[in-house]
Amino acid sequence: MNIEKYIENIKAKFPKIIDVKVVNTKRLMIYISKNLLLETGKYLFAELGYRYIIVTAMDSKEGIEIIYHFSDDDSGWIVNLNVTISRDKPEIESLTPVVYGVEWIEREIMDLLGVKFLNHPKPETLLLAEDWPKGKYPLRRDFVEEKN
Amino acid sequence: MGKKTVVPIGPYHPLLEEPEFFKLYCDGEIVKNMVWETGYNHRGIEKLCQSKTFEQVFYVVERICGICSTSHPFAYANAVESIADVEIPLRAKLIRSIVGELERIHSHLLWVGLAGHFLGYNTVFMWAWKYREPILDMFEIITGNRNSYAMFTIGGVRRDITAEQATQLLKLLDDAKIKVDLLTGAVMDDPVIHARLKGVGILTAKDIHDFGAVGPTARASGVKIDVRRDDSYAAYDMIDWKVITAEGGDVFAKAEVRLLEMYESISIIKQCLEELKKTEAGDIKIKVKEIPPGIGIGHAEAPRGEVFHFVKSDGGNSPIRHKIRAPSYTCIPTFRRSCIGGTISDAAIATAAVDPCYCCTERMSKVYDYSTGKQVMNGAELIKLSQQKTNELKVKNEGMKL
Repeated sequence: MNIEKYIENIKAKFPKIIDVKVVNTKRLMIYISKNLLLETGKYLFAELGYRYIIVTAMDSKEGIEIIYHFSDDDSGWIVNLNVTISRDKPEIESLTPVVYGVEWIEREIMDLLGVKFLNHPKPETLLLAEDWPKGKYPLRRDFVEEKN
Repeated sequence: MGKKTVVPIGPYHPLLEEPEFFKLYCDGEIVKNMVWETGYNHRGIEKLCQSKTFEQVFYVVERICGICSTSHPFAYANAVESIADVEIPLRAKLIRSIVGELERIHSHLLWVGLAGHFLGYNTVFMWAWKYREPILDMFEIITGNRNSYAMFTIGGVRRDITAEQATQLLKLLDDAKIKVDLLTGAVMDDPVIHARLKGVGILTAKDIHDFGAVGPTARASGVKIDVRRDDSYAAYDMIDWKVITAEGGDVFAKAEVRLLEMYESISIIKQCLEELKKTEAGDIKIKVKEIPPGIGIGHAEAPRGEVFHFVKSDGGNSPIRHKIRAPSYTCIPTFRRSCIGGTISDAAIATAAVDPCYCCTERMSKVYDYSTGKQVMNGAELIKLSQQKTNELKVKNEGMKL
């Protein structure tokens, strides 16, 4: 993979991309806004045939950062889509219609960080108990553990 | 019309960080639909890791899974070392690969044994687990533990392999190879196993891509992916080995891939031990003073497929975010494609084919009458049903025996 050329191509294809950075050896991070997610996700998964790995979400300073990891197994590069959404209104389009396997991890993020995935086929809790108090998200920074 | 029943399998499977609970909706013998639930044993390990130092996290992730207790530290080490941008000594790389491959052999033997048990071949179960013992002894020789080896650390490994240990290991490996030969011959040449496993639980290459399935599950469908080759780490790029694939995507192909992978693992360990002689004893670790701010993405090929770790550091003592994905997280959903439309007696082996932990199944599964909710069959009987099918095939195949 010629990385300079790759970055140039992807920037030309999606001019709205915020930034593209090589983070470590063989790791590429593409920063996008949330309305570009479906388009870029479809391009990586369906057109380029990358393997979906997983989605990481975290509560960072700027807001809730969601990283979609894809692997190009021919070259060994891991290509990541990085979307930051606001903490006050954490909503993002679900990637499940494009990548079938994303369904559960999105439900997990829903449980742990309180992100709402729009158009998710089955927006139910995955990990937490059914009687878990509403509005408490264990991986949020402001989460306070209650001692028994 | 047959009686409609719901078969719950699960929920406690201590192997994974995500124990699963399957509900099979059956019409007569045929599985019509499947529902998956999880979270029964969510331990909050990702959150826990954020309260440990980078060094301590090794011993936490090692305990995610009792069988893959090297794969998680392997991926974690790859992630953290990529943040710190360090190159570990060659001797440490070789030792890491040796431990990783030993784990693959013992894990695959364990699977072959369990698969044998589900099919009603308890002899295979006894043999495979007996032959697994010397592999665990090898772990004890080089790491001091039969399980949870605590071998990895940032910048290298914690214990060296001495020349005497290497000699012992080589002898045990030669013995193990004879046993693997026996087992492979017994499994691959058995007409009943062929009849029982071929065409069962088929996954196509498209299914694999849709779900992001990895490891032997993917390779058995002809998808040639292996992190050891694609994004080589430790000593795998210096060693001569090949990625085993099979066509067909059925349970037989998955068994074939696992059996043949054990030979590759034995060969990798032997080459690593040979290379070890050329390096200086004791040079197993470099000092990593601090982990700078940044993100690290590490993955490693566990016996069941790719283990993925994402670590974010802010320059402090502990990770501020640690995301872990075990291979079963993407492999388990493939059950939907492999089980639906098949018979219930095949569901046990088709679900076991991706190698989840199954030891609790027989205690937990029960068949309920769909309309009344009354229990009509328990887990032991379900396995009996699977074994009965093999027995019937055995009788049919009597004429094929020598």
